[in-house]
Amino acid sequence: MHNSDLFFNNLPLFVPLIVLELGLLIAALVSLYRRQTVRHGNRLIWTLAIVLVQPFGAIAYFIFGREVD
Amino acid sequence: MSATLTFWHKEWLAAWRNYHVLILAVVFVIFGIEAPLMAKLMPDLMKLALGDQLSIKLPQPTSSDSWQQFYKNTSQIGIFLLALVFSGAVSQEVSGGTLVNLVTKGLPRYAVIIAKYLVAVVQWVVAIGGSFLITWGYTAYYFPDDKSPHVWLAIWPVLLFGLFFVAVVLLGSTLINSNYAGFLTAALVFAGLALLNYVKAVKRWNPIALVTDNLDLVRGTEKITHILPACGVAVVGALVLLGVTIWAFNRKRL
Repeated sequence: MHNSDLFFNNLPLFVPLIVLELGLLIAALVSLYRRQTVRHGNRLIWTLAIVLVQPFGAIAYFIFGREVD
Repeated sequence: MSATLTFWHKEWLAAWRNYHVLILAVVFVIFGIEAPLMAKLMPDLMKLALGDQLSIKLPQPTSSDSWQQFYKNTSQIGIFLLALVFSGAVSQEVSGGTLVNLVTKGLPRYAVIIAKYLVAVVQWVVAIGGSFLITWGYTAYYFPDDKSPHVWLAIWPVLLFGLFFVAVVLLGSTLINSNYAGFLTAALVFAGLALLNYVKAVKRWNPIALVTDNLDLVRGTEKITHILPACGVAVVGALVLLGVTIWAFNRKRL
């Protein structure tokens, strides 16, 4: 059995997960680049966290990094 | 009443703009899908990890594995995410001075706390309810067995625990002026309850049973009557904590 078999045998479970995580990633990046500042760290660090650590990076950004209006 | 309603609308707008609704929705939907997915993948993942070294035959996953994963996610990550999201509910507004105008113009202080509490509880109930329904649907489809006879019974204690836990977060956020006070208070209380569970005499009365005994309830190895005292303590505790929070908020400098 290969990894790809695992993936294709469970598409009804994987597809909604991927859609959700992509949605969250896009929402986080849009929010990050609309604002001039972040609360902790800088934009580059948050971009890396959001893109590389799915989905925790985006969630952490919304809770800890996003500048409150 | 109308003051609470007005502030309730403001709170929902804030929850939406602060992405709280989005975070909770996405995470709890992920939990809902992940539980049956992990249960289904576990044997294959074990095979991939261990390869040919595995000589014993792995048991087929059951609905019970799916629910085990669901309750692990909700009780170990879900409730703390809830605490984190609502951690600054009061403290953030106090440090930002955003309540001063509303309160001096006649908004009763209790309305602030009650509206914040209800908005958080509704988000918790919808998040858990949605997540539960997703896991229930996939589990019924992928694991149509009789290993989980009491699925609908086991979810109620989790919802009740939310009533208690949100009250703890709100009290912490009211007493201490730090964005993380609510979360830290909730984490400390949770740890305290976990320690208290080692004392046999109070075990049945400990609200933590509401998020630790769920799998036994699902499987039918424990009856709901066993944790009814803990349910009672959680509800009374939530009301008392809410009262103390309103009392403390009435005396707070905004």
